[in-house]
Amino acid sequence: MQDRLLPYWLLIPAFVIVLATTIYPLAYSFITSFRAWDLTKSRRPGDFVGIDNYVYAASESAFLNSLWVTFVFVITSVVLTVILAMALALLLRRKGPMHTFTRIILILPFAMSPALIGVSYRFMFNPEFGVLAKGIGAVFPALQGVPWLADPQLAMGILVLTDVWHWTPYMTFMCLGGLASIPRETEEAARIDGASNLRIVFGIILPQMRGVILVMAVLKTIFALKMFDQVVTLTGGGPGTSTETLAYFIFNVGFRWFDMGYASALAWILTAIMMFISIWYVRMLLSERKMATA
Amino acid sequence: MKRSLAYFGERALLVLISVIVLFPIAWMFLTAFKQPRDAYSLSLNFEPTLQNFVTVFSEPWNLGSMVMNSVIVATVTVAIAVPCAALAAYSFSRFRVKGRKFLFFLILSTQFIPAVVIVLPFFLMFRQLDLLDTRIALIIVNLAIVTPFVIWMIKGFIDAIPTDSEEAAMIDGASRLRVIKDIVLPMAAPGILTSSIFCFILTWNEFLFALILSRRDAVTLPVGLVSFRTERGDLWELMSAAGVMITVPIFIMALFIQKHFTRGMTAGAVK
Repeated sequence: MQDRLLPYWLLIPAFVIVLATTIYPLAYSFITSFRAWDLTKSRRPGDFVGIDNYVYAASESAFLNSLWVTFVFVITSVVLTVILAMALALLLRRKGPMHTFTRIILILPFAMSPALIGVSYRFMFNPEFGVLAKGIGAVFPALQGVPWLADPQLAMGILVLTDVWHWTPYMTFMCLGGLASIPRETEEAARIDGASNLRIVFGIILPQMRGVILVMAVLKTIFALKMFDQVVTLTGGGPGTSTETLAYFIFNVGFRWFDMGYASALAWILTAIMMFISIWYVRMLLSERKMATA
Repeated sequence: MKRSLAYFGERALLVLISVIVLFPIAWMFLTAFKQPRDAYSLSLNFEPTLQNFVTVFSEPWNLGSMVMNSVIVATVTVAIAVPCAALAAYSFSRFRVKGRKFLFFLILSTQFIPAVVIVLPFFLMFRQLDLLDTRIALIIVNLAIVTPFVIWMIKGFIDAIPTDSEEAAMIDGASRLRVIKDIVLPMAAPGILTSSIFCFILTWNEFLFALILSRRDAVTLPVGLVSFRTERGDLWELMSAAGVMITVPIFIMALFIQKHFTRGMTAGAVK
């Protein structure tokens, strides 16, 4: 009797935590998203206004801008991270003291606080005394005195750079795991037959890594959609609104202008995008596992 | 000859990668030991000083209280999340109960909910309860991020433990709880330790919740960084000193679990 219910008892503590810390707030903000609620005017939630908040979002240029910024950021950061991670993993799977050393230090960027990464890149790209700004200026005289973070495109580029620097190591570890699990016989046979390295990588290794690459891309997309810390500490959304991602825009609406109803609606738009990708991702994982065990 | 060219090319590439990885970190460490006037020059020829560390720990910066907040919030979050997650992970790993798939799916999906959505209702709730700017508030919201992740990770480790000895002990009459305590936990210990450290790192580095839910008393280290942005401009040498304080403990932990980390990560995410 006791044993039959035990599986559930074991689940209860964790389930209570998840329920209280994610499901409940989600439901709460969903309801709030249909209300008008200016926190600076009232401590109590205002009237229900139907889908007004969502309708307003669809026509607000600041919101549409943040969608575009997020889109650009996600695409560039995902593509760069996945390609670099794959290349790094191919290089690092070989044996050797230098390979091992690089593998070990690779965990450091991942362990570093993203807020701090933003701060230190801001420091290094300061046009007056930033070491990278000066260094690049010394190597390429044409780029001397470029106001890196004051230029919309360059600021976005540096934002992507910090994110790629932070996430590539993690993704490289995933790739290394994937590479370790594919059989090496085909590759060795091809090598004996005199196939070039390029052909081996593109013809044999990458096709077998399809599943891992797909998982990485989806996972990285989710992380990139959530990215927030470096926007605050590196660019502050600027110059202008050129690096104002959706997460940062929601933060502004909610905690600078205290428009709770509108912020909740925006937050739910982001949640809907993420849920769509996540559900797809989890499904994919479960079906991959089914294929693996079958 | 051609072979040696490839050989050196590969090593040169490894050196380049190491530089890209280490340089930003090294530069921050160097700046932390520079005097203010040296911090704004690129010179490597400077007189090292510990003054920045003294400054950040004294008024008005009080890094000490932020260190305390970070340590307490991260430790308590781990202490609550990991045991609960370990039990759930065991249940998911060993039992085929009704609704298991749905529950697992639900818990996994919550991992991907943007933090900004969760923090909004919590902000309102904590305001009502007068819990804004307390460590308890930060611990509660951090549990939201960390718990699903740790369940996922520990389940990967428990899945890898063979069930033979568990079954043998049950045939000998041991209860399921005894089996968990005496057999599974010791075997899963490295995995649980890895997950705990990983969870500690996530909480330690957490920025969004702390930025919104703390003002003065409960400010953690990553948010404290922002306070070095003053009207007189950014105080880089102090930021760097604070940065060193944030990274050193985490780097030590990360290097400690590096080996397991690679395995745990791939087990959790790929398989």
